[in-house]
Amino acid sequence: MSRKIFALLALVVVAGLVLAACAPQTVTVTVPVEKQVTVERTVEVPRERVTVRLSGWAANPQETALLESILYRFSVENPDIVVKYEPITGDYWQAIKTLVGAGEEPDIYYMDIFQFPFFAKEGVLLPLDDLMASTGTSRDAFIPSLIDAFTYEGKTYGIPKDFNTLALFYNKGLFDQAGLAYPTDNWTWDDLKAAAQALSNPDQNIYGLGVPADPGRFPIFVFQNGGRIMTEDFSDTLLDRPEVVEAAKFYTGFYFDKSGALPSDVGEGWQGTAFGKGNFAMVYEGGWLIPYLNQQFPDLKYSAVLPPKGPKGYGNLVFTVAYVISRNAKNPEAAWKVIEFITNEASQTMVLESGFALPSRAALVDHPYFKDHPESATIFRGANGATPFMWGLYGSDVNEKMGQALERIYLKGQDPAESFQQAAQELRAIIGK
Amino acid sequence: MSASLRRKLSEWLTAYIFLAPWIFIFSIFVVFSIGWAFYLSFTDYNLFSPPKWVGLSQYIRVLRDKEFYQYALPNTLKYVAIVVPTQTVLSLIIAFALDQKIRLRRFFRTAFYVPSVTSSVVISLIFIWLFSKIGIVNQIFNMKVDWLNNPTYALPTIMMVNIWSTIGTMMLIFLAALQDIPVALYEAAEVDGANRFQIFRYVTVPALRPAIFFVVTMGVIGCFQVFDQIYVMTAGGPLGATTTIAYLIYKWAFGSTNIRMGLAAAVSFILALMILVVVLIQRRFIESREE
Repeated sequence: MSRKIFALLALVVVAGLVLAACAPQTVTVTVPVEKQVTVERTVEVPRERVTVRLSGWAANPQETALLESILYRFSVENPDIVVKYEPITGDYWQAIKTLVGAGEEPDIYYMDIFQFPFFAKEGVLLPLDDLMASTGTSRDAFIPSLIDAFTYEGKTYGIPKDFNTLALFYNKGLFDQAGLAYPTDNWTWDDLKAAAQALSNPDQNIYGLGVPADPGRFPIFVFQNGGRIMTEDFSDTLLDRPEVVEAAKFYTGFYFDKSGALPSDVGEGWQGTAFGKGNFAMVYEGGWLIPYLNQQFPDLKYSAVLPPKGPKGYGNLVFTVAYVISRNAKNPEAAWKVIEFITNEASQTMVLESGFALPSRAALVDHPYFKDHPESATIFRGANGATPFMWGLYGSDVNEKMGQALERIYLKGQDPAESFQQAAQELRAIIGK
Repeated sequence: MSASLRRKLSEWLTAYIFLAPWIFIFSIFVVFSIGWAFYLSFTDYNLFSPPKWVGLSQYIRVLRDKEFYQYALPNTLKYVAIVVPTQTVLSLIIAFALDQKIRLRRFFRTAFYVPSVTSSVVISLIFIWLFSKIGIVNQIFNMKVDWLNNPTYALPTIMMVNIWSTIGTMMLIFLAALQDIPVALYEAAEVDGANRFQIFRYVTVPALRPAIFFVVTMGVIGCFQVFDQIYVMTAGGPLGATTTIAYLIYKWAFGSTNIRMGLAAAVSFILALMILVVVLIQRRFIESREE
């Protein structure tokens, strides 16, 4: 009986947190609070309690509340495991790397695919395959491009918690004004170019497409042109290959014929803001743009389609974060139980319905949520045939050199072939090739 | 043991007992930390695996690194060479002006000091807006310069921000020093028939020498280590135009997917050595004339 009261009390607290977090902004958060009420059962008094520490970055209060409510449900079902959630504010990677270096890291923590190679190579993560087998969790239950991304030398090191891909967001109002048909999933580079040119009106600060010197956007054009950023084993860069140079010519071409622009051209730091303000008619962004637009630009009429196909077909990037277990975890079994629970289908459904992120479970593709949220559906489908946003151990250097190669073209008018040649050379000097 | 020796010993002991808490903290957080960093600069260390001794090769790698000798080193030297004299001279002039009996003196003193008590991150964010392509600065002067995204203007813009935000503190130091100058000196100069400029040049400035030394030294150290404005405003870009040595240290130590702690430690000691040399030269220069 007292358990029940405690459960309800904690529920009220969680609900209160959710409500309090929502109060200032008008966001409809559909955390299925009612479901928690149905969890009414007599639980044996546990003999020994195990503590599991879990850390991640705190993206926003609503997302934290969501995780806390999932963890609460876990604690009801697993009274012998106490999950201590310790979110890290500030520079997450600096903090977590220092903690790992000191051997003080939490048992479970967030791992971004971009940072994964270093952690995997250094052997500070626990392989999860045996633990997965112990609870009958199959790799096939997750979207292949995600679970494959967290696989190193044949072993699984992370269970993807959510992901994002890029979609072509378009401003319906600007398309209507220009009398153009909305983009479709079957668009090609030619359609993109034609629409961007028709939409642009530099005198009024309106440009067809945002083309920032961003290593998190440009690579999809390389993939669509049949190129790669790095070799299969990440030991060398392919940035000086003709496929990359041609993609760069096409991408930067938008800037030079004024059918596209950089965010800074319209006084913004991020093209999402430029899109919201109607300066850019189309941008390549991920699902993070949706809650931002709903909050900051609630009147904007927009939608999203899959990135247009290039000469060599479809190409996209996958941004994903996983839960990993530290090799120093004292209770790997308990830690695994936690991960298993927060990534199971029920929890992942909660994640999906909250609207913050896309779940990593492949089975959720037919979830009714996607019917009402076509943009999210587009981003979810985008993972099919997409490449993880990860360039190996020297990922940050690759990103920097790729961004600089684009900047040299934009700011100094350098020839794309020359610029990417230079990027590849500088990169090889760092990799030691 | 003689009585005097015993007294000396007990005096020492008393002194060291009083110093003990500070020595304890100093040895852990300063001596040990610096010593450990010095050791790391001779190793290959990525935080996760134990440090591997590699001798001087990290120092050689730094000196051969294009990012160091082509961007970080010249940018830092340029930054110091322009910002330190400018902020010293400007703050001296402002301090001198605000030392006169002018109206609204208190208001101006406060106004000039406000940037110094404001967070540098907040100042940086405000300046990002002021200097954006459609920002106020461009609108006032009817220009279309993308200040922070242009390799030519990015570093000068950050210099301006820093000069503007540090002038307050230096002005305050000069003001305090100005008020310390005995009135008799001025009166004597006036009796001797010196004009206002001569009084400034031959009475005020020499009397301010210790303050100038202090301000220049703090300025040199601060400018060599410039980081936060760059981290917030440009992240070392565009095209390395604002990459400074301190930013490079951050990037190698924490800002990359592959941690290069040994390399970062090596640059740190190169930077410390540079600051030491410059401060010593400058002390020679300012203090030798005093004698």
